[in-house]
Amino acid sequence: MKTTGFRAIFVRSVLQMVRRPIYWAAFFILPLFTFLFLANLMENGLPDKVPAAMVDRDGSSLSRSVTQNLGGMQMVDLVAECNSFTEARHKMQEGEIFGYFLIPENYQSDLLAGRKPVITFYTNMTYFVPASLLFKTFKTTALYTKAGLAMSVVESVGGNAVEAAPMLLPINIDSRAIHNPGLNYAVYLGNSFIPCTLQLMILLITCFSLGQEIKYGTSVHLLGMARGSIVRALAAKLLPQTIIWIVIALFMESWLFKINGYPMHGSWLWITLSEIMFVLACQGMAVFLFGVLPNLRLSLSICALTGILSFSIAAFSFPVESMYPSIGIFSWILPIRYNFLIYIDQALDGVHIYYSRIWFVAYIVFMLLPLTMLWNIKRNMARPVYAP
Amino acid sequence: MIKQLFDVYCREFKLVLHDPGIILFFIFLPLVYPIIYSLIYNPEQVRDVKMVVVDNDRSSISRELVRNLDATQEARVIGYAADLNEARHAMADKKCFSILEIPDGFGRKIGRGEQANAALYCEASLLLRYRGFLMAATNVSQAMGAEILTEKIDRILPLAETITDGDLMPIEYRPMGNIQSGFDSFIMPGVLILILQQCIILAAGMAGGAKRENPRLTGYQGVNEMPSVAMTMLGQMLCYGTILILPVIYLVHYVPLMFSFPMEGNLWEILIFLLPMCIASCGIGFMFQGIVWERESVFVLWVVTSITFLFLSGLTWPRYAMSAGWKFISDCVPATWGLEGFIKMNTNGATLSQVRSCYIPLWILSAIYMVGAYCVQRWIVRPTLFHQDPALPTVK
Repeated sequence: MKTTGFRAIFVRSVLQMVRRPIYWAAFFILPLFTFLFLANLMENGLPDKVPAAMVDRDGSSLSRSVTQNLGGMQMVDLVAECNSFTEARHKMQEGEIFGYFLIPENYQSDLLAGRKPVITFYTNMTYFVPASLLFKTFKTTALYTKAGLAMSVVESVGGNAVEAAPMLLPINIDSRAIHNPGLNYAVYLGNSFIPCTLQLMILLITCFSLGQEIKYGTSVHLLGMARGSIVRALAAKLLPQTIIWIVIALFMESWLFKINGYPMHGSWLWITLSEIMFVLACQGMAVFLFGVLPNLRLSLSICALTGILSFSIAAFSFPVESMYPSIGIFSWILPIRYNFLIYIDQALDGVHIYYSRIWFVAYIVFMLLPLTMLWNIKRNMARPVYAP
Repeated sequence: MIKQLFDVYCREFKLVLHDPGIILFFIFLPLVYPIIYSLIYNPEQVRDVKMVVVDNDRSSISRELVRNLDATQEARVIGYAADLNEARHAMADKKCFSILEIPDGFGRKIGRGEQANAALYCEASLLLRYRGFLMAATNVSQAMGAEILTEKIDRILPLAETITDGDLMPIEYRPMGNIQSGFDSFIMPGVLILILQQCIILAAGMAGGAKRENPRLTGYQGVNEMPSVAMTMLGQMLCYGTILILPVIYLVHYVPLMFSFPMEGNLWEILIFLLPMCIASCGIGFMFQGIVWERESVFVLWVVTSITFLFLSGLTWPRYAMSAGWKFISDCVPATWGLEGFIKMNTNGATLSQVRSCYIPLWILSAIYMVGAYCVQRWIVRPTLFHQDPALPTVK
């Protein structure tokens, strides 16, 4: 067999990966576990039945009917009946409940006498998602209660309750979340966090495999095999990884949109193209970072930092336009940002490809980035120095 | 025995100082990472998300509705579109994130005393944007509705006014803990604790990798072992504990102070609470050493777990909604309990005795992981170290 040239390096790279368990873990076990975990954890879409408490200081027939109405709501699970505000607050501090609904003393008699008793509800905003769901349920219950009272007032003075009904909500704004009407939480997180995990692993493994060459001084041999061409050396070394990552990215695509059935309203062609280009863009970015810091530990540190910060800065939950502009601008230097935007355009919203054209160009820029740093990688590969 | 312990303790300091990688995990990670992370979310709230209006009614009440929506904190009306197509084009171009469509006859219906409907189409890629629009729409429609209702009741049933006289039953809402409902104050306290756990495990893992490296490569002999495995582990843990005192105080006290996160807890109680979490994390780190053959492989093997741990902790997806299997796994992670207890103390103002449901599991976990760590160190890590060449340079 030939000992130099593209094919020889390719075979060498494959053997290096097959022999070390760490590559098996990084290529298959860790990403696939994360895919499974994120999708499976939030299978139900929304965490309904939020534990909550009722503080009924009145104990009248009216307050009990409010309790019953609240208990019948889908999103809430009344796990406790507390006798005082303090008791409920302690339960919340201990984490037993996420919020409570307070009916004051003499509620019914005050109401009948027109003394306007105040209904108050409390949610523990330390836990955003359950507290928001609880807020919605509490508010709805309070409003229904109020509406019922208004109706009985209208009836009591001789009005017609049926005619009065539309008056209770004269203006109704229907809010519709397009393409995710159930507000499935897994759709939000799966489509962003799963590709971001892939980006993290691609960045780490690319730098790890290149850094190994310099750490153990084998890069000289690698350059020799490539007959001095750094492009040939890098291309042949990384091609086996590219193939594996593309297979995993395509699996990810089918895992998200086919197996889990997340919204897919666009063309499969563009999403598939996006995933393939995403893999190449991540590799491009990793090689670039390695070129800037051609040291195994430093390049891995910077990749880990970038990869983990991507989960926040690529704006999967907190929008870029709400961040400080000086921070938000960094979201545009991450391949995952473009993957996310293309997913929104082409899968979630299914708009014309025209609107996503720029994001595809950005991928190409990432792919070309390493060209600017080839000189530095070559220099360090020719004279490998390991700095721990 | 004490002599052994002291020797390990001192030598471990030298090793850490000689390894910039470990220094990075112990100092840089807890110092810099929380700052960057907090800055990302520091605006706390999503304000003024752009909205386009398609007003087919063009009545005074429809304009009032649009004005009121524009005046909310959550939404900002950037303009009118001639029809739904034009609005959709703007949305696809990311110029706006929701479309309010007011149908023809909107104002007339209100005048007739019927219910008037408008539709708000929200782009659903981000939950926070949708939540903001929903809040704005609900608040505005209720406020305007109440006004119209009062007017109507006054007109139809003058007698009713004497009974109701404005608001019949005021409703009040009080967010607790994170009282501004800010995103940064919600996510960061938990992330701080996760950072602490991960930095201990990563540092211990890297120290384990250094033991197996060729000393010629790293420039120092990374092995720091005494005949007693337990004393060796204890000495190393004490060393890590000493180094971590300042970073931990910085994480749980000064970071929340800098970014004005809720701080209701007592610092001493918090530190006592976090002690078993640090011990358990050390235990995991020592066990992790069993599979780390090289200093740098900790990055590849461990960094990605942060995401899994963040979700397992129940911060975003509450633990009561997890399936039994995932709940069990999350029970095994020290950060789950550490984070939950820290949030309760720091944000909700719980005392140490109120978080006993988190404190006791932490001690149980630290006992289990320490036994596990002893076994891994005794039977897996130690036997692999005998191949070291004693003639190689040791740490100066």
